[in-house]
Amino acid sequence: MIEFLGEVVAWFSDPAHWTGVNGIPNRTWEHIQIAVTATSLAALIAIPTAVVLGHRKQGGTIVVGIVNLFRAVPSFGIVVLALPITISLGLGFGFWPTFLALLFLAIPPMFANSYTGVAEVDADIVEAARGVGMTDAQCLIGVELPTASPIIIAAVRVAAVQVVATATLGAVVAWGGLGRYIIDGFATQDSVTVFAGALLVGSLALATEAVMAAIERVLVPRGLKTAGNEVTGIAV
Amino acid sequence: MPRRKRPAILLLVVAIALIAAACSSSDEPTITVGSANFSESALVAEIYAQALEAEGLPVKRTLNVGSREIYATALESGELDLVPEYIGTMLTFLGGEATSDSAATHAALQDEWAPKDISVLDYASAQDKNGIVVTRATADELGVTTTSGLAAFNGTLVFGGPPECPNREFCLIGLQDLYGLDFVEFKPLDVGGPITVTALESGEIDVGLLFTSSAVILAKDFVLLEDDLGLQPAENLAPAIRTEIIVAYGDRVSNALNAVSAALTTVELTALNKRVEIDGEDPDKVAADWLTSNGLVE
Repeated sequence: MIEFLGEVVAWFSDPAHWTGVNGIPNRTWEHIQIAVTATSLAALIAIPTAVVLGHRKQGGTIVVGIVNLFRAVPSFGIVVLALPITISLGLGFGFWPTFLALLFLAIPPMFANSYTGVAEVDADIVEAARGVGMTDAQCLIGVELPTASPIIIAAVRVAAVQVVATATLGAVVAWGGLGRYIIDGFATQDSVTVFAGALLVGSLALATEAVMAAIERVLVPRGLKTAGNEVTGIAV
Repeated sequence: MPRRKRPAILLLVVAIALIAAACSSSDEPTITVGSANFSESALVAEIYAQALEAEGLPVKRTLNVGSREIYATALESGELDLVPEYIGTMLTFLGGEATSDSAATHAALQDEWAPKDISVLDYASAQDKNGIVVTRATADELGVTTTSGLAAFNGTLVFGGPPECPNREFCLIGLQDLYGLDFVEFKPLDVGGPITVTALESGEIDVGLLFTSSAVILAKDFVLLEDDLGLQPAENLAPAIRTEIIVAYGDRVSNALNAVSAALTTVELTALNKRVEIDGEDPDKVAADWLTSNGLVE
């Protein structure tokens, strides 16, 4: 065990692992790129749609139910199923199947939370807003959205971490990212490389969690934070 | 049922189950057939499995296990009993010297593996070697027909292959040492499968690793560069089987598998690969058809 950890330390100390296409900086950058793009696009797709539906309280349960079906499809399955499709569409392998799988992963929690968050804003608050003469749009943007923001941002935070962890699957369809160390190490039964890869992904996921927590602290209105400055209660 | 009788019935059922399990494992062991994680290996393993089943032997399949590091370990530990192997690469994997002489390589492999209780039965004339492949357009543009011709373009070409290629003497290591090739990048893709083919077609890689018996090379009009310095050794297919299975079943197993090897030529193998890889047919059916048409099963 100690010997193995020693080998892992040696792996990280090897300068060859810090340079080039297969080096830690490049693979981490690839990983961050796909995670940020996938989470952002998913947020753009999921949040506005869900917020509007939640505001109108229309068709919610059905739509949320359908979106939640996406969660039932395993990411690994999507990555592999999307491969022949993206190849035939001329989009190649690697990036696009992975991106698609990450979208499927990130959309459901953000959609569900945005819908629930807005739909379940206290009816009294909404009535009060109408009472002071706010229009529909003003009410949505000025009152409902900020009130629902803790729960929405919490979902984005969860989604971001899940996306970072799951982007490792991309290596199965010849994409890069930190999953490369795990897949290549597995092919050559090099458990040191596999372990190092897992450590890197885990660290990046934790770093993502920390960054998202900081963003949450900044974006959530002060009055909505609970005593410990922690946002709780996720509908995920 | 009175409560007192229920435990007795349960014990009886358990006892019967245990006896049944013991019966099947000691004198009539189930033969677990495995393969590497690419379609040709799985197809040949399926052929072996069906040939043995036709003899009335108990067979279990665990195909597409993984790379050689994984399935060879499983074979040596007893988790797998039978896998199709390529004699040259396997001999080198065990630390031996492989040459283009099939008989000598085969004999050397048997010697290397015997201490680990693995027997290698007769080898087929069918060979499948690592093939260095470029698209027709690339071949014309670079004016190459041989692997050594690539050396003139060192530092400019991207090479793609299976993730374990950098660890293989007949893959990247040999290309670097024997041919003096220096690729600007190696991209880990899949094991001679659709990802490597797509990468070649889209230009994501300039040079790819496919297999010489793969039907895809002809179908896509790729150019298989000549192995002019003779890097690739003899790579005949042979059944690698745990000795205890031979001990348990004797001629029933060896005759069935040797008959398969006797009928399997490189031309036959490529045709079988075409049906599975290009025509998309079910490997089980392709295996069954081949065995029937060669008179190996009824």
